[in-house]
Amino acid sequence: MTVTDDPAGASPPSDGPEDPAPPRPPSGDAALPSHASAWRRRLPLLPALIFTILLTQVPFVMSIWYSLTNWTVNPPRDREFVGLENYIDLPDNQQFVDAAVVSIKMTVFSVLLSVLLGTLIALLLDRKFFGQGFVRTLILTPFLIMPVVAGLIWKNQMFHALYGVLNWVLERFGVDSVEFVSKYPLGSIVTVLVWQWTPFMMLIMLAGLQSQPSDVLEAARVDGASSMGIFRQLTLPHLRRYIELGVLLGTIYLLQVFDHIAVITGGGPGSTNLPFYVYRRSIGGGWLFGAASAYSIVVVVASILIATFAIRVLSNLLEGEDAA
Amino acid sequence: MCPDVGPPSPSTGIRFEGRTPVQEETQLMVKMTWGKLAKVFAVFIALSMLAAACGDDDDTGSGSDNGGDGSQTLNVAVVGNSQMEDIAALTPELFTQDTGIEVNYSILEEAQLREITTRDAAAGGDQFDVVMIGLFEAPQFGENGWILDLSGYAEGDEDYDVDDLIPTVREGLTVDGALYASPFYAESSFLMYRQDVLDEAGLEMPEAPTWDEVAEIAREIDSDEMAGICLRGKPGWGDLGAVFTTVLNTFGATWWAANDDGTIGEAQVDQPEFREALEFYVGLLDDAGESDASNASYNECTQQYLDGQVAMWYDATVAAGNLEADDSPVKGKNGYALAPVKETDTAGWLWAWSLAIPATTSDADLAWEYISWATGPGYIAEAGERIPGGWAAIPPGTRQSTYELPEYQDAAGAFADKTLEAMEAAPIDEPGTTPRPGLPGVQFVGVPEFQDMGNQCTELFSSAIAGGISVDEALSQCQDIASSFSQ
Amino acid sequence: MSTTEAHLVGERRWVDAVFGVIAWIVGAIYFFPILWMLVNSFKTELVANGPPTLDFDPNLDRYSEVTEATTGLLSFTEAFRNSGYVSIISTIVVLLMAIPAAYALAIYPVKKWRDVLFFFISTKFLPLVASILPLWILAREFGVLNTRLVLVILYTAMNLPLAVWMLRSFFQEVPKELVEAAEIDGAGVFGQLRSVILPIALPGIAATALLCLIFAWNEYFFAVQLNAADGQTVPIWVASNVSTRGNFIAKLSAASVLASLPVVVAGWLAQKRMIRGLAMGAIK
Repeated sequence: MTVTDDPAGASPPSDGPEDPAPPRPPSGDAALPSHASAWRRRLPLLPALIFTILLTQVPFVMSIWYSLTNWTVNPPRDREFVGLENYIDLPDNQQFVDAAVVSIKMTVFSVLLSVLLGTLIALLLDRKFFGQGFVRTLILTPFLIMPVVAGLIWKNQMFHALYGVLNWVLERFGVDSVEFVSKYPLGSIVTVLVWQWTPFMMLIMLAGLQSQPSDVLEAARVDGASSMGIFRQLTLPHLRRYIELGVLLGTIYLLQVFDHIAVITGGGPGSTNLPFYVYRRSIGGGWLFGAASAYSIVVVVASILIATFAIRVLSNLLEGEDAA
Repeated sequence: MCPDVGPPSPSTGIRFEGRTPVQEETQLMVKMTWGKLAKVFAVFIALSMLAAACGDDDDTGSGSDNGGDGSQTLNVAVVGNSQMEDIAALTPELFTQDTGIEVNYSILEEAQLREITTRDAAAGGDQFDVVMIGLFEAPQFGENGWILDLSGYAEGDEDYDVDDLIPTVREGLTVDGALYASPFYAESSFLMYRQDVLDEAGLEMPEAPTWDEVAEIAREIDSDEMAGICLRGKPGWGDLGAVFTTVLNTFGATWWAANDDGTIGEAQVDQPEFREALEFYVGLLDDAGESDASNASYNECTQQYLDGQVAMWYDATVAAGNLEADDSPVKGKNGYALAPVKETDTAGWLWAWSLAIPATTSDADLAWEYISWATGPGYIAEAGERIPGGWAAIPPGTRQSTYELPEYQDAAGAFADKTLEAMEAAPIDEPGTTPRPGLPGVQFVGVPEFQDMGNQCTELFSSAIAGGISVDEALSQCQDIASSFSQ
Repeated sequence: MSTTEAHLVGERRWVDAVFGVIAWIVGAIYFFPILWMLVNSFKTELVANGPPTLDFDPNLDRYSEVTEATTGLLSFTEAFRNSGYVSIISTIVVLLMAIPAAYALAIYPVKKWRDVLFFFISTKFLPLVASILPLWILAREFGVLNTRLVLVILYTAMNLPLAVWMLRSFFQEVPKELVEAAEIDGAGVFGQLRSVILPIALPGIAATALLCLIFAWNEYFFAVQLNAADGQTVPIWVASNVSTRGNFIAKLSAASVLASLPVVVAGWLAQKRMIRGLAMGAIK
């Protein structure tokens, strides 16, 4: 895991109080006792860390407490401590399991498709052609639209069985009208998600392509490598970390999808994911804050377990030098 | 750079040779990039400010604090319908000018309004002085002590004229003699149909049709160009749930039996009457229903009816205002009939968006002053000439006097009487053939659990309408869901 | 950065032309729904809710309807002012905290920096719908409901993990020698940031800031749950056009076009810099 930026030996050792430091002015860190120095290193981190802990962990701890109670807001009922009851009921809750499956499908499909399309489009846009910047601008725009609006526009203007543009196009080809949202609830939502997130992935991939060292590509050309060979041997390995970044960020945001479901299908067996299920159980009509909190805690723990595995074991995203 | 790619990144390649060149270089970069960055931010700010600069600048919306500085302000949450937008626009002229009370409206989408008002009422939020709640919530909130009893105010206020309220609506908002909310807008449900289409097909619609008659006509008319009937199929206790529950009621079915103390008894979804109702509903939509039925609710049916895609539509009485509007392509071509029935005498629903005062309020008198104006007969009489939609667009369904206004009779003659008839006939007390748990209600069961159960079951039924699962599956899963609420 | 040059060598012109045409088609497909929204914003409600058509009398009535200011109603200008305030201030606060944090994670990494970084990202896994009730209760207790402050705080918390994550990778790209040289010259953390790190990482910072702006500008859930009565932002204004008893697509389209303008224009102008920013260190 330990990787240094510098070609070996090209620069002085980077850090750490026990480094045989080059001559430094007396005010330098090396002159301080080591725990004081460590705190000076940590100091800049603290505002962000403390802020994040306060803003996320306080609600989180409150949620854990709620999850151990039978708190129901409507009808009003005394809040009682029920221990792990809300958790014990979970495995038998078929709807929760279904929602988990939908969540996984929705996230996996939309992340993979948007990364794939984003990469292809980035490759397309990395070539010079007339109107390159303009086309990039066109493709970027869906990312900038409010999710609620994107959902409503697609539902009413694109997918609509009678008045949708998609069916208007299909009709020109002699195909009967398709009730997209009813017949393919998950597919419809994934389509809109992919539409909104492809531009984001495209940006990341374009960044990846443009950060390729041109001298290496040049050298490979001179050595007579084919375009395909260069792509496989150089570009793809180089893009790997960008793809990983795209997958990570995409997953974080797409796991939370809520607005799209609320406006496009309004739930239903095929399209209720975990956030929407939690919503329905709590402020969306169920008012069972105890049980809904338990669901969210399970969602968080599971997400973190999966993320730990994905980020720390499979990916290179956390590479970098270790602190001394 | 990834080490396996090999070369050092361009920046690490910079040879460090003393400070001056680096400083120059970095300063150059600072200038360049800050300049561009500044431009982007400038455009962003400029566009937000442009918006802020143009148009009338009114600061009353935000920044105004509640009370303290002498001027009196009420925060009011309302649902986003045209009648609410109209009253918001007229408030400064018709209310603030006379009383000096400023009203700060929040127009919210129905789902969010419900989330926020319920949460505030239940968990003690005090952001609104007056909230708009439905006929479902008002009695429940009142029973819970979350909103104030308005009876005293209503009876002591001559301008308000409480006896003018349509009796069924008043009854629906009253628990044990206490009126908990004042209706601003109310509706029942009835059947709208294209008179011209039926005439052409040689069919006749009875004044008070049965579901069997309606289904027969729907199947007869249904063609490739025009569906027989539009019924809601979109999940949600207030969407599919509302229309379907009125069908259930008149089929002699219900969601739950009632225990002796009025609590939720055994689930009744597995009863034959329930199955009959669901099979009827799904079958009718399958044979003669609108396009994409499992996605359709009020607005989708409006679209299709106006566009001539459906011949009949069973929904809220307020829809008639749209169908008879000046720009409507079907204006004057419609007939109206009472809600179809089967086992019961009447079947139309009852809904009222009503104004209530949260128990946490600091100044109930002030809040009532507003409610009395907004829901009193005076506003209706004054609004007709001022709102964009004219007399036909005034808030309907709340007062008998509305239907006696000659201007309203002129403008809404095509549907006014049928609406009043439907409102007065709504079986608020005895919607079905068996006792229901909880408080009175037609298209819902008056218990909070109905929301949750209704949402879950209508998701299943909607899926059955779309053909995703079978009616059997939907029924058995729904029975389990409903049973989980039994006490 | 000219991979294109490398591509061009030895390749025939028409191949590029074909790819150019494909790119244009893809661009048109992606943009179409937005173009259609724009078209619909010039229609009447009746036409916009009927079959797709281009045969109509375009008019600006929907725009004047949605921007019309009424006393007591959330006006377009008020919403824009609130949104501009909330998204700009929260983005600035995010940067003020994320830049030092990224310094501590990248330049001279603290011990367990991986755990810290992972912690930041892991806070994004809690479903928002679940945390809304605790947050609402806290906001009420602190008396910040219906203020712009509460949204500034929440949007800062929402965007901070992303910013820390991205800035850390950009800062890793800064050559160590330069930082050390500055340190030898006696520059403290602030001095190092100002004289060396920020100038080099600026494109990356700009890219991060823009993402934060976009997410803050479009945020709807917190806004409607916590600021329904006062301090409402643009998404609430847009959603107030949605009705359950009447068609609203044309009005909603007009409102959305206006609501999207600032982020869309900022995004358009900044895209090149964003790509350069992401490219410059992207993901070390």
